Amino acid sequence: MKEGLKMIAVLTLICGMFSVTLAGLKEATESRIEEQVLTYVQGPAINQVLSGFDNSPVTDRMKFTVHGTEERVTVFPALKEGLLLGVALETFTKGHGGEVGVMVGFNLSGENLSGIAITTMKETPGIGARIAGHGFTSQFKDHSMDVELTSKGGSIEGIAGATTSSTASVEAVKQAVSIFQKIKPQITQAWPGGS
Amino acid sequence: MKEYFLLFISAIFVNNIVLAQYLGNCPFIGTSKKISVAIGMGSAVVFVATMSASITWAVQEYLLDPMGLQYLQTLTFILVIASLVQFVEMFLKKAVPPLYKSLGIFLPLITTNCAVMGIAIICQREEFSFIKTVAFSFACGMGFMLALIVLSAIRERIEVSRTPKSMKGTPIALIMAGLMSLAFFAFKGMI
Amino acid sequence: MSKLWKEFSKGLWKDLPPFKVVLGLCPVLAVTKTADNGFGMGLAVIFVLTMSNVLVSIFRKIIPPKVRIACFIVIAASLVVSVELLMQAFAYPLYQQLGIFVPLIVVNCIILGRAEAFASKNPILLSAVDGLGMGIGFTISLTLLGGIRELFGYGTLFGTRIMPEHYKPFSFMVEAPGAFVCLGLMLSAMNIFTSWQARRKGQAVLDNPGHECRSCGICSR
Repeated sequence: MKEGLKMIAVLTLICGMFSVTLAGLKEATESRIEEQVLTYVQGPAINQVLSGFDNSPVTDRMKFTVHGTEERVTVFPALKEGLLLGVALETFTKGHGGEVGVMVGFNLSGENLSGIAITTMKETPGIGARIAGHGFTSQFKDHSMDVELTSKGGSIEGIAGATTSSTASVEAVKQAVSIFQKIKPQITQAWPGGS
Repeated sequence: MKEYFLLFISAIFVNNIVLAQYLGNCPFIGTSKKISVAIGMGSAVVFVATMSASITWAVQEYLLDPMGLQYLQTLTFILVIASLVQFVEMFLKKAVPPLYKSLGIFLPLITTNCAVMGIAIICQREEFSFIKTVAFSFACGMGFMLALIVLSAIRERIEVSRTPKSMKGTPIALIMAGLMSLAFFAFKGMI
Repeated sequence: MSKLWKEFSKGLWKDLPPFKVVLGLCPVLAVTKTADNGFGMGLAVIFVLTMSNVLVSIFRKIIPPKVRIACFIVIAASLVVSVELLMQAFAYPLYQQLGIFVPLIVVNCIILGRAEAFASKNPILLSAVDGLGMGIGFTISLTLLGGIRELFGYGTLFGTRIMPEHYKPFSFMVEAPGAFVCLGLMLSAMNIFTSWQARRKGQAVLDNPGHECRSCGICSR
């Protein structure tokens, strides 16, 4: 009996001690980890969809609340000499095997898309993954904000055999467009506009 | 249906857990001297990997995710696996003695088998659904068993043939494993 | 002092993992595509191994023998979680490269094996030195294997080009088969060297060190 009690006491002590230490460490590293993830995961995608900026979109990022909802989105601005050229934001939709994440860039002067890039992708290996390739995503460069697949009467050509993935990414772009239009006043208020 | 078939083929042949993903190499080299041992170890891994992947899936979904404790994943998973192995061992000893006799001695080895924990983590990273997790972990276990049995069959032959003295034992086993891995590379073109 | 040195140096040569004591093979094979990755993994293992040896040694008097494995696992796993957090915060690219093998340090037999075989029986300083020695030995082996594979597979070493311009990379080396074959050849070279050394000293030539998964001692409960 005494041995059993000691066993429980020691195990509880050790577990308690380590969970406190770990929670502290987690607290201490949290903001740095977020920064690192944004730099190395979202960073390359942002560089693909925005161009001509001289700031660091990741450090200048800001969170906005979408009108009428509780939803908060992180917006990455592209500034040149302090003036806003465009912004990028990331949206997610359900694909075949999980989430598809798309980074969408907006061009403020021309009111069109400056490009999209796939950030998260968990599709059937080999087939769905092709939407991450250049052919599909480059169609969105300088495209108007009105995107739709050709099969539904639009101008974006989906990938044969990867309908789910193509649809999912177009859906994500549409979602990004609607968020962008809702928060546009806030964006232009936060950063002085260029051109 | 086609999706699950692809998942099976991919887990067993294309992305074989030992030969392509480098998981579970210690028991792969350590317990492949005899076919009978290899079969025992292989089936123990299939059994425990499937169970632990399903349980850790539930733990992640209903405990860690809602509480925002994802960073404790490693800690929780290893504790779940260690206690599961203990529990299975006790259960088999009491309930199914013949099965315990054939699998029992391999069960403690499984706690430190990184294939089991690796499969559980892969299922989480790929965000599989529950049924997919069960199917995937079972297929991975089968892949492990296949590789282990094939290697042990080769090693039984090599044991009695002439090999350079410095190569005897582990080195030649590793080189055989390398050649097997090369052979499995051919499956890459399938999917 | 000499005792400390003895415990430290055994990890560097006499019991050098994974060549003399064939343990912890998965990270050895998986992360040694480049010397960089091998070195980074080695550093993580040094940290976890030394700290876990120290902590196990501190608690060795109060840990009841029946639940010692559970305690070792909790200690090792907490340290691995700390490494994961620190690596994400300060070396994110390395974390991406090593991927699943960072959390898998916890099931590396070396960690639990040293806790069971050494730290649970020895004072703090000796245990720390033992962990440090083993960890450094492991790091050297990983870096060496990574260096060889990187040199032939990519023609570079730590990212700088070594091989002449017209060298065609032998990509077999950086794929899975190359890992197995390369480690096998290195083990056999090690065996040749050991038996040559024994013969020169006039000692009896021993058999090759056998590899038993059970030799880590953790499973002999």
